[in-house]
Amino acid sequence: MARKKRTITGYAALLALLGSLLVLNLCVGSVGMRPGEIFSLLGHPGGQSAEARILWQIRFPRTLAAALLGGALALSGFLLQTFFANPIAGPFVLGISSGAKLAVALALIAALGRGLALPSTALIAAAFAGSLLSTGFILAVSGKVRRMGTLIICGVMIGYICSAVTDLLVTFADDANIVNLHNWSLGSFSGVTWANVRTMALVVLAGFGCAMALSKPMGAYRLGPVYAANVGVNVRRLRAELIVLSSLLSACVTAFAGPVSFVGVAVPHLVKSLFGTSKPLAALPACFLGGAVFCLFCDLLARTLFAPTELAIGSVTAVFGAPVVLWLMLRRQGGRDDG
Amino acid sequence: MADALLYTKDLSVGYGGVAVVNGVDISVRPGHIVTLIGPNGAGKSTVLKTLTRQLAPTGGAVALDGRDLNTMPDRDLARTEAILMTARPAPELMTCADVVSAGRYPYTGRLGLLTDDDRAEVRRAMELVGVTGLADRDFTRVSDGQRQLVMLARAICQRPRLLVLDEPTSYLDVRYKLKLLTVLKDLAAREKLAVLMSLHELALARKISDTLVCVADGTIDRVGPPEDVFTPGYMARLFGVTEDLLAQARAGGLRWEELYGF
Repeated sequence: MARKKRTITGYAALLALLGSLLVLNLCVGSVGMRPGEIFSLLGHPGGQSAEARILWQIRFPRTLAAALLGGALALSGFLLQTFFANPIAGPFVLGISSGAKLAVALALIAALGRGLALPSTALIAAAFAGSLLSTGFILAVSGKVRRMGTLIICGVMIGYICSAVTDLLVTFADDANIVNLHNWSLGSFSGVTWANVRTMALVVLAGFGCAMALSKPMGAYRLGPVYAANVGVNVRRLRAELIVLSSLLSACVTAFAGPVSFVGVAVPHLVKSLFGTSKPLAALPACFLGGAVFCLFCDLLARTLFAPTELAIGSVTAVFGAPVVLWLMLRRQGGRDDG
Repeated sequence: MADALLYTKDLSVGYGGVAVVNGVDISVRPGHIVTLIGPNGAGKSTVLKTLTRQLAPTGGAVALDGRDLNTMPDRDLARTEAILMTARPAPELMTCADVVSAGRYPYTGRLGLLTDDDRAEVRRAMELVGVTGLADRDFTRVSDGQRQLVMLARAICQRPRLLVLDEPTSYLDVRYKLKLLTVLKDLAAREKLAVLMSLHELALARKISDTLVCVADGTIDRVGPPEDVFTPGYMARLFGVTEDLLAQARAGGLRWEELYGF
């Protein structure tokens, strides 16, 4: 019963944070607006005033994108942690995001060189292919080495290699494309259109639905593959589903926002500790909300801290995400009862 | 063999198509305890893994409840056979009650929500094994012995008709060994549970088993009740204990017959 109360309190807190950050992200910027103004402008989508256009064409899609993609990253991390049975697994630390980034850069340069504009679905497809390639490599390595530390080092190395190749590509890309490509390769939620938001909402919410549908076997998989199989989980299928789903979710993020680091590790950690359970049915929606809250907060800082200069979103998420990961790891090592 | 719950015929088991143990003919009846004994590395675990579908047989057949084990639907298998293997799970943030509840998986719906009946099964299993007091404790923070009993409760609340255990008493102190074996004996007698396990402790195997299966040299060397198997001569042969070693032990004051009570 104590746990039920804790879960309800946790969800209430996350929803309150999400609500206030959504409003705050819409209000704060080069043109400040009061919440009252926001609500009246939101009632009239076709408004032609400068404020209405800033709200409807820039801040609103960007805010939704940060929330959706943040949720997707946290989910992707949760799925990978289930797969590897290790809390340090995540799309960024395993090099999966970097693989996606390289594939997207290749696709963009190929298309731009021919004067084509790529639809966002094509970007997601490229990112997905890149994610699967990096994941495939990590899986091949994990067949040989069981130690998570070694896997992480492999992931970081893949990350460096892919980033280096991406940087090279960006450097030698046509002048006209460099600015766009450079911004994207640093990671940012800026420049998101409504069409992008529709596509990402479709992919991310479908991914969330699939993840929820897997919550029962994922719960059983926490005791390891042998005991999961013994109660009737099709382990081989579950593992394939986890990999495809986590790659798709992190690919979607990379396609639209470039690399965003540490959200996938930090948020599931925080949420599980806050809720005191790793039960997927309770933790998955909370991870999604937590990821949204975390990225909304980081994006707010990224665009306001040194306005008008924007920070790369990955720099901000790393500043808040990496220490959380370190702190939690050290606390767990300490073996105290509140862990 | 019509009344056997588990029945193997000329089974060979191994890894990657290479047989480790050949000619396995075992049958386990409801209410009986069958124990595999034999030297380290003889392939006892490999046999048990094959009989719980963790490994595909390299030859021969396994029937569970009159059906082919390897084509049985996952859920039917899960409702018939529960396991307690040597793997020690270390799940993140799971209480002991959560771990036991995992055994209800084959009975719950799409989302895995527990009904009142499921919760009653979990309570019953925890009471039976004597771990009710651990319900809210984090599974990774209880002792090895307690963890093993919690895993046994998990297997029991799966409501199997056959329980398969690989070295369930290793690394446990006497209290937990005694508790675990008492629960098994009790379930076999009262609920006609069939039990198949491997044990290293010969004295325990002798006391608790209805049938012993001796695994050595890549085959099933002998199958029979304890009195047929526990003779000093046969035990020495099964475990490769030489006359020299027995003589050395005697010289040091260790008498093999006294140690194991043959």
